[in-house]
Amino acid sequence: MLLRDFFSTDTIKLDLEAETKDDALKELVTLFGLDDKSEGILFKMLKRRENLGSTGIGRGIAIPHCRSLVVNRLRVAFGRQASGLDFKAIDGKPVRYIFLIVAPPLEVSNQYLPVLGKIAQFGKEPDVPEKLAALEKEQSFIQLLESKGI
Amino acid sequence: MHPQLELLLEIQDLRSQSVGLHEEPLRAVESKVFDVEIEDAVRRLDEKVIELEERLSPEVRQRYRLITDKGDRAVVPVLSGICYGCFMAVPTAWASEADRNRRIDVCENCGRFLYHVD
Repeated sequence: MLLRDFFSTDTIKLDLEAETKDDALKELVTLFGLDDKSEGILFKMLKRRENLGSTGIGRGIAIPHCRSLVVNRLRVAFGRQASGLDFKAIDGKPVRYIFLIVAPPLEVSNQYLPVLGKIAQFGKEPDVPEKLAALEKEQSFIQLLESKGI
Repeated sequence: MHPQLELLLEIQDLRSQSVGLHEEPLRAVESKVFDVEIEDAVRRLDEKVIELEERLSPEVRQRYRLITDKGDRAVVPVLSGICYGCFMAVPTAWASEADRNRRIDVCENCGRFLYHVD
């Protein structure tokens, strides 16, 4: 299982317009193409997860995640907001790179935790923030994942 | 979407999150990677579940209690016409209607609330 297999260019947005954490979550959720009600439920769940503790793991990276019935398979998205967002991250620094992960509660292939773990591992690599900052095209993000071999 | 179904989905998602925090390896990931205080998080989620359960209508709450008191999931997805609670086919007409989540559907076999997800 490779991370790149879960991303497609239509769920990658390198120029998030959001200027708040909430708006960034909403903007990323829209990339999944759900109906309005489902988007609302998913946003609420992500907010509730954030209220338990920020998913900002430091170095400008956040990994909001939850399980929800509104998706029928594991969904992932990536967004970049160049000026940075107040995410109440562990290191107190603004978040620029957001990896969103959502999985259904009943997941036969059980990919949620491995994907969450791999993205956390990816985010801890020393050169990753710099490389994410330099991305010019959505496809380059996928190539970056490929180059890391995770 | 039917407002009671929307409420049921929220409750079920919160319960899934709470159950997940009791189980490894998610418990360890949330604690070590995201610095979540597990016991406090579970308590807050469970309190929210109780709060939302109060908003269920008497009829829906009665069925919900019948299912959850047995330790089962109250709401399950329907995928490709199959109830993912008991893995039996649901009536074809239900699965194909565009407005299917605008009413409360219940599996005729296992009695769980159904959410048509695809």
